[in-house]
Amino acid sequence: MEPEQFQDVFQRLEVEVQKVIVGHNDVIRKVLVAFFAGGHVLLEGVPGLGKTLLVKSLSQALGMTFKRIQFTPDLMPSDIVGTEVLADTNGRREFQFKRGPIFAHVVLADEINRATPKTQSAVLEAMEEKQVTVFGESHILESPFMVLATQNPIELEGTYPLPEAQLDRFFFKLLVAPPAPPELREILRRTTGTEVADIVKVLPEDGGKLFKEMMLLVRQVMIAPPIEDYVVRLVHATQTASQNGGQASVKQYIRFGSSPRGAQSVILGAKGHALVDGRVHVSYEDVGKVIFSALRHRIILNFQAEAENVSSDQIIAEVIKQVARD
Amino acid sequence: MASFANPRKRVPPESLIKQVTAVLRHHALWDSLLIIVSPVLALIYGLVFLRRTAWIGDLTFVLTVSSITGLGLLAVFLRVRPRIPSAATAARLADEKSGAKDHFLTLSTIDPVTCQQSFLERLRREAAIFSERIELKRDFPYQPKRWSYGSVVGSLIVAAFIYFVAPLAEPMLRAAPVHERIREMAEKMAERPKLKGIAEALKALAAKIEDPKAPEEEKQKLVQEIEKQIAEQQKQEQDKNDRDLLDQAANQLGGAEQQQSASGKDQQKDQQNGAGGIQSNLPQDNQGESKQSQGGSGESKGGRTAELSQDMQQGKSAQGNPKEPGQDKNQPNQSETKNSQPDPSQPGKDQNKQKADKNQGGSKDGAGRNQASEEPPQNVAPAERLYKNGEGKEGLKGARYVTVQLPEDVAAEVKGESMTGKESKGNRVGAKVPVSNVPLPAHVPNAAMEKQQLPIEYRGIIR
Repeated sequence: MEPEQFQDVFQRLEVEVQKVIVGHNDVIRKVLVAFFAGGHVLLEGVPGLGKTLLVKSLSQALGMTFKRIQFTPDLMPSDIVGTEVLADTNGRREFQFKRGPIFAHVVLADEINRATPKTQSAVLEAMEEKQVTVFGESHILESPFMVLATQNPIELEGTYPLPEAQLDRFFFKLLVAPPAPPELREILRRTTGTEVADIVKVLPEDGGKLFKEMMLLVRQVMIAPPIEDYVVRLVHATQTASQNGGQASVKQYIRFGSSPRGAQSVILGAKGHALVDGRVHVSYEDVGKVIFSALRHRIILNFQAEAENVSSDQIIAEVIKQVARD
Repeated sequence: MASFANPRKRVPPESLIKQVTAVLRHHALWDSLLIIVSPVLALIYGLVFLRRTAWIGDLTFVLTVSSITGLGLLAVFLRVRPRIPSAATAARLADEKSGAKDHFLTLSTIDPVTCQQSFLERLRREAAIFSERIELKRDFPYQPKRWSYGSVVGSLIVAAFIYFVAPLAEPMLRAAPVHERIREMAEKMAERPKLKGIAEALKALAAKIEDPKAPEEEKQKLVQEIEKQIAEQQKQEQDKNDRDLLDQAANQLGGAEQQQSASGKDQQKDQQNGAGGIQSNLPQDNQGESKQSQGGSGESKGGRTAELSQDMQQGKSAQGNPKEPGQDKNQPNQSETKNSQPDPSQPGKDQNKQKADKNQGGSKDGAGRNQASEEPPQNVAPAERLYKNGEGKEGLKGARYVTVQLPEDVAAEVKGESMTGKESKGNRVGAKVPVSNVPLPAHVPNAAMEKQQLPIEYRGIIR
């Protein structure tokens, strides 16, 4: 596959999703980048911003199977991964594995923080291993597999914040911001009239093959050693135990810094962005575009940061200031 | 270099990076040269000035200039080396100037083995397009750093100071020629009736030194003759001021003699230049010492030929002037000690006396005074506290407590007494006289000499 072909497919997908979603171009692009990098995305935003619609539209444009799981406190792991049921086949009654909603190419885990940690952890294996185990039997998830989880940042009562281990499995955490007035006007125009957007399927029938080629292309993008080193230093500077230049002004707010997965996400995300930009090499600019999305959920802040209302994005901005490019 | 002539011509990106690296290397070199060379030149200019005023000799000048130049070059090298930009740095600058998105950086740093060749070719093509936007002279002009300006301006100020202000101080800095100093000395000595003869000889010597045609041997001979005269006069001279003048003259002659013998050729050159033939700081040192001796101490340490100084010191020790405690302390004291300190193993006084007589110079009074002062008071009754119960004033026999005065201290005490009378007694009691309360063993007067507890010569000074 040529980079131009990747760029073409990517842009067509963007256009199709944008037929339904007004604004949020950056979110759409990053969701697609994460998708072709083989990652999962956590979308955070108040209700009514079109998070669910975005995921639905994306799955339609991709032409892949889509399942939505509404996470509630009484949701059980078996409701997600599936369970063995007693079935009557040819007069014989036997247990058959009934697949849960996790068996889809694109899974929307809506309000994931409303489920209990036990249920949340059921998604963990699926996200990382691309397989689920039920009654000791493993079931491989079909590729491509992507979990798009949403969570509401304001309704915290009756929620179970995602554990750090699960947060770390998300490639990007994207903040869905409220629409600006012109965007809101456009949303109203599209949704309150008779006009219905028709999303065209971009990927062919055997989309899986094309997806794999696109995934491979993302990984082939070149990255200069100084840029790679820059990413390493950035990620290292967020770690509290590191001694390499993170200043006390930053570290005093950090409980846990980014894991190596953070650096992987930055590099892969930057590679995806470079391809979308029509380049076959990563630039510092690409790193800057994805670093907030890749690291913000991986930096666990301490009580002092919460008390002083310091966000992860502020910490990352400070780290970027401190770490010089070569 | 083709890109300098025609910057619009498409240059392979790798070549462009090399060119940018070379340009940046030159910039670093220029920066270092501007910062370091200016002070080096100012220093050399200062050295030229010092050479002109004859503060330093030719050899010193050449060596110093060579050292400074070498150090300057070393400093330039050490400063430039870490500032030579890497290919990555040059590539980043090229990216900035051309608006490329790290094309040059990636191209210059990536390992071709690890990436797809098609991607690399594509990157090279894109970078080549961006390289057209770069014009080396326009995009990478040399701009001197602030430090460079500071260094150049500072160096110019120093050079200007040397050029304008230093000549005003040149007469002060310029060392007076030997013959002038000798002439001055001769004029001083001419005021003293006893030293008129030496003054005349010194004037003649100054004239000889001033005359470049006069043979060196003749000058040296004259110097030695005058030195002898001075040495003789020093032995006879009683007046302190006269002795100081003689010391100064001897110092001057010592310096002149050394210079005459060491650098005859240089002296001739310097005399022609009007620099007075001063090649080293030695005459200056001698001058300084002469000033010290004028201050009354009369010390003469070094700065003269060994022969001359030995003669001088012998003369002084022979004089043995007790009124000058600051005189050359070691030798007179040694001689005095030898004279007055008896050898316990050879108790015979004759040998010591002979030695003392040999060391005694023309002035017998001084020696006599010393001898008298070294003898402890024989007929003075000891203090009451030193007697045992029932012993009375008949003698010291069996005394358990003694006071020992070593010969050096005795000499010092005698000098002190002669100067300040009662005060010196107080000093003696206070700290100078070592006191021992160690009980002595019983005195056996009839025992053999070597079994005596104290040599017979010391017996008199024990109370």
